[in-house]
Amino acid sequence: MRQRILSAVRRMLATLYPLAVLAAIWELLSRSGWVSPRLMPPLEKIFSALFADIANGELLFHTGVSFTRALSGFGLAVVVGIILGVLMARVRWFEWMFEPIFSFGYPVPKIALYPVFILLLGFGSSSKIALIALECTFPIAVNTYFGIRAVAPRFIWSAQNMGAGPARIFFKVLLPAALPSIMSGLRVALPLSMVIVVITEMIGESAGLGYYISYASASFMYASSYAGVIAIALVGFLMDRTLVLIRDRLLFWEPSGGAQASKLSY
Amino acid sequence: MMARQFGFTALRWAAGLTLPVALLVAMQLTAGQEGMPRYVVAPTDIAATLWQLLTNGDLVGDALGSISRSYSGFVLGAVFGVAIGLLSAVWRQAQAFFDPLVSTLYPVPKIALLPVIITWLGFGDVSKIVLISLAVFFPTFINTLYGARSTPVNLVWAARNMGANRFYIFWHVVLPAALPQIFTGLRSGLALSFVVLFATEMVGSHNGLGDMIIRAEEAMRYDWMYAAILTIGLLGFLSDRALLVIRRKLLANKYPGEARRT
Repeated sequence: MRQRILSAVRRMLATLYPLAVLAAIWELLSRSGWVSPRLMPPLEKIFSALFADIANGELLFHTGVSFTRALSGFGLAVVVGIILGVLMARVRWFEWMFEPIFSFGYPVPKIALYPVFILLLGFGSSSKIALIALECTFPIAVNTYFGIRAVAPRFIWSAQNMGAGPARIFFKVLLPAALPSIMSGLRVALPLSMVIVVITEMIGESAGLGYYISYASASFMYASSYAGVIAIALVGFLMDRTLVLIRDRLLFWEPSGGAQASKLSY
Repeated sequence: MMARQFGFTALRWAAGLTLPVALLVAMQLTAGQEGMPRYVVAPTDIAATLWQLLTNGDLVGDALGSISRSYSGFVLGAVFGVAIGLLSAVWRQAQAFFDPLVSTLYPVPKIALLPVIITWLGFGDVSKIVLISLAVFFPTFINTLYGARSTPVNLVWAARNMGANRFYIFWHVVLPAALPQIFTGLRSGLALSFVVLFATEMVGSHNGLGDMIIRAEEAMRYDWMYAAILTIGLLGFLSDRALLVIRRKLLANKYPGEARRT
């Protein structure tokens, strides 16, 4: 027991020490006077701004707005992406119709369509959510498609042989076998949703963390804008961790994706 | 047999083209009609505008500005990502520092630093390039590190057994083994570089395709807007294809099977 606690502490220290080094360098630069303390406020000021804005509810409000948008778009993309991916993998004419769209559209920066989305859906949340959903659908659908296609046919044959219907085959054979691949698609898509939400909020908006940061730095409240950066970092990090936890729960038979966080691939 | 094969392929192409063509036809037919919003522009008008902007050079300056920024940032981020990734793979101290740092900050959207970097470096190209290279660095570093660390240990032993020194092993065993995954990282980085480029140009810029899209939208010149969107989409797509060609060239004699996979 003691051993386990000790090793957990050691692991945490190993993760935290690079961050501590960076913080120390920051503090040194800020206090030394080489850099204007207005551009690089000492950490103490940043954290007092962070706590002040949490206490008066402003930061929580903007975080809530951004988080809701990112998660709504991501949730939509999960549903649409998995359905499209499964259909592409299982239905031939569907594959013919949609596979070229996904393989040609993948490297295209979809964010460029944001003005079109504004024209179609207005400046509010819906255009942002739609753009997030569009951007996130691509990695999810592509990973689902490849995951389902890679299921060995003999699994399907033996299930059929033992009298399983299409629904049972889908839920008991295809979905579990493709789940690791689907999960890595989700893992690519989730940080993307935060990127898109922040970008779109920086362009003409009056709520959300992207707005908060650009407003704070436009009004020279740099400590507040760093507080906003920290809030975004925390939200992004915690969302990713939550997804890894869910993944490890669902995929208890696969080694954890937590450690090699990020063997990301298309 | 031949004829059937041909019919099959034709059917496949037709199916693939159905949705894009349907969208274009719908836009062509409804554009300019009573009650349709002005932002529905006929594809033929967009094509004409695109041609005109290309020939009179209006688009070329913006496109060149965007491309030079995005490629500078990409190359900078890629060089640092590969170099530090390889360093971390062979030197434990470097890995102990960079690996937890990058893994922790990976899911954090680096674009949040845009306003901050603008206050440091101003609205010019430097702040855009720095932000793009930062975004490219992360996926490149992680994929390089894990690619190099997953070098089959048998190969390293075999090389050592035959008297190879550390430098030789690094250059001829570890690097080739890491190359496929390095390219995976570069590809994610390239896609990100265009997203970040567009964001930086939309927020504060007087040049570039992102800026042009915003200007055209504000001026309600929707044909210009679509032309610029098409250009940025095409540039992203072609850059990706170019990277895949380089990858195939580099990997062809090492991984005959790997190179063919895209």
